[in-house]
Amino acid sequence: MPVKAPSDQVTYLEAISRALRDAMREDPSVFLLGQDVAAYGGAFKVTAGMLEDFGPERVMNTPISESGAIGVAVGAALLGRRPVVEMQFADFISCGFNQIVNVAAKMFWRTGRPVPLVIRCPAGGGAGAGAFHSQCVEAWFLHTPGLKVVAPAFPRDAYWLLRAAIRDPDPVLYFEHKQLYRRVKAPASAVFDAGGGSDGRDGHGAGGGGAAGPPPRIGQAATLREGEHVTVISYGWTAHHALEAAEKVAAEGISVEVLDLRTLAPLDEEAVLRAARKTGRVLIAHEACLSGGFGGELAARIAEKAFEHLDAPVRRLAYPDIPVPYHRALEAACLPSAEKIAQVVRELRGW
Amino acid sequence: MLEKQAVPRPVEAEGHSAHPSPQALREMHLFLRLAREWDLRFERLVRLGAVSKWYSAVGNEAITVAAATAIAAGDALVSLHRDSGAILRYYVDASRLFPDQFPPLPGRRAPPTEPRELLYRLACQMLGKADGFSGGRERSYHYSFFHEEAGIIHVGMISHLGAMIPVAAGVALALKQAGGGRVALNFIGEGGTSTGDFHEGLNMAAVYKAPLVLIIQNNGYAFSTPSSEQYASRTLAERGPAYGVPGVRVDGTDALAVLRCASEAVARARAGKGPTLIEAVVGRMRGHSEGDDSFLVLSEDERRRSLEADPVLRFERTLLESGAVTHPYLDQVAKRCAELVLATVDRALASRDPDPSSLPGRVHAG
Repeated sequence: MPVKAPSDQVTYLEAISRALRDAMREDPSVFLLGQDVAAYGGAFKVTAGMLEDFGPERVMNTPISESGAIGVAVGAALLGRRPVVEMQFADFISCGFNQIVNVAAKMFWRTGRPVPLVIRCPAGGGAGAGAFHSQCVEAWFLHTPGLKVVAPAFPRDAYWLLRAAIRDPDPVLYFEHKQLYRRVKAPASAVFDAGGGSDGRDGHGAGGGGAAGPPPRIGQAATLREGEHVTVISYGWTAHHALEAAEKVAAEGISVEVLDLRTLAPLDEEAVLRAARKTGRVLIAHEACLSGGFGGELAARIAEKAFEHLDAPVRRLAYPDIPVPYHRALEAACLPSAEKIAQVVRELRGW
Repeated sequence: MLEKQAVPRPVEAEGHSAHPSPQALREMHLFLRLAREWDLRFERLVRLGAVSKWYSAVGNEAITVAAATAIAAGDALVSLHRDSGAILRYYVDASRLFPDQFPPLPGRRAPPTEPRELLYRLACQMLGKADGFSGGRERSYHYSFFHEEAGIIHVGMISHLGAMIPVAAGVALALKQAGGGRVALNFIGEGGTSTGDFHEGLNMAAVYKAPLVLIIQNNGYAFSTPSSEQYASRTLAERGPAYGVPGVRVDGTDALAVLRCASEAVARARAGKGPTLIEAVVGRMRGHSEGDDSFLVLSEDERRRSLEADPVLRFERTLLESGAVTHPYLDQVAKRCAELVLATVDRALASRDPDPSSLPGRVHAG
């Protein structure tokens, strides 16, 4: 069973789990596929109890066949079903690559037939899990037209973006950082409230202003914190580091704007440019490798469309271009952190 | 001492049929001939420079037409590039195409579509024209066509062979979940059986007991690579039992034998017993694609034998010997099919090209 947060607190993992349940209750065409998702409840217990609640036709184990599972899901989606496929770890999505980038992603453009498919990808490092259970592989898919890619950082976004992904007529890759599963939580009322209230971002107000407004949609970035001097653009676990860094440097008199992309494709380009223009000093931080990472695309767009507003070179903080090392000390040296972000922010402020 | 386990052997299908009615035989013949004329026309257009590439299905008609004869409107077809016979059979109701000659066949669910219009769109698709199913975005058989009210669920290929087998398994799974005993028919070449997706797709279909009929068209060569360099098992059908599904080997030049195997597989799938793997063995009557010289990979003797084993002529001989048809009848059907194809393709050739201003188009549905 999922680890219960105390009182009415909902963890990031519970928000994902609840989104699956609510979607399945609401829409009989939704069903789950994945390795060990049925009786065992998934490697991280996201689907715990769902076999009992929804039966074996809607909660289906797959063989160890990522390509097969995603291909089967594409076929079912073509006939109007709404499969949600769990990759046991995001790393294993490489075994289903062709089904995603050539079959699913191109289907609508080629044939006009929608593929309402969600692939959930437990991603990211920080657990000493080595090169094949730790990667952030979203950039592999951002180079492929036809896909949508989301990477929520907070329980409220996790819940509503998964609901939106399941309702979406396109293939959506849903990256959920494993470090957020049980570590990040928010009041249930804030997470599930469809109308307003506080945003449930672990104590940080939406747009820095408190009220959450309507639930997030795919393609909408969120301003986590307003600032004047430096903008940090991020997503996923790294967005939490960015907030922590902003808090750190605030004591030094540096005011940081923090933008959480939430969706990487389609990109909320307006929000990115607005945040860049606002301070003229931009750091893009992500856990994925530097070269070919999404930061490069963001930096290019800012350079093309907001150059005249820049007071400093656009900086990137990312994973070094090496596989994820095993030993905790080695891994920690590679991961983005609040301190690393704060350091680049100070440098940018000094321009 | 351990006793040696007997390896399950594929069933060798015999070359006689379950006695379809004379009318059903004549219908199947119509589609064999129509498919042949279709491909001959496009082969000629390659030589005239009107299409850039053609992967001829000449020689594969008995497999594709007979297999699609075993399914009906409401079932799904997931096709590759030598499956024109299956597509024509699946889309077209003979009694709507030539009502004077083909009364509605009792017991067969055919799609209530206007065949000439569909054939025109198909020809446009082959030529990349605006009226094709993909509006010029995609080449030849790389398209899908859903007309669910008419019972047409047709998913076309991507170029990566094997990739559509898991997709076909998923289509079959969705049909199973929907209830109603509908099935999915999917083709692969013997070369495509070497992909990981063949294994993953067939295995998952077997595990889920998905109503999938997977037919390997084994013509002995993948582009230039002979089957001896493609796989080391005696047959491909024997892989079926290894997945826990029946594996059937059949002479792919014998339309009646293919029909019998495919019908058994379809009945099995409809009954909820899961997939069947059929290996249909044919000679190669053409190279990999028109304009390459891969037909010359075959020895002269093998080429001659393949051409002599022409499945369309074989079926016509069978019909003649049984007294179901006469020579003038066969001539007349051939003439009608050739005229229909010629007129349809000519109309498509004269149709409008896609407008580049339609690009980039929507990559997302929502």
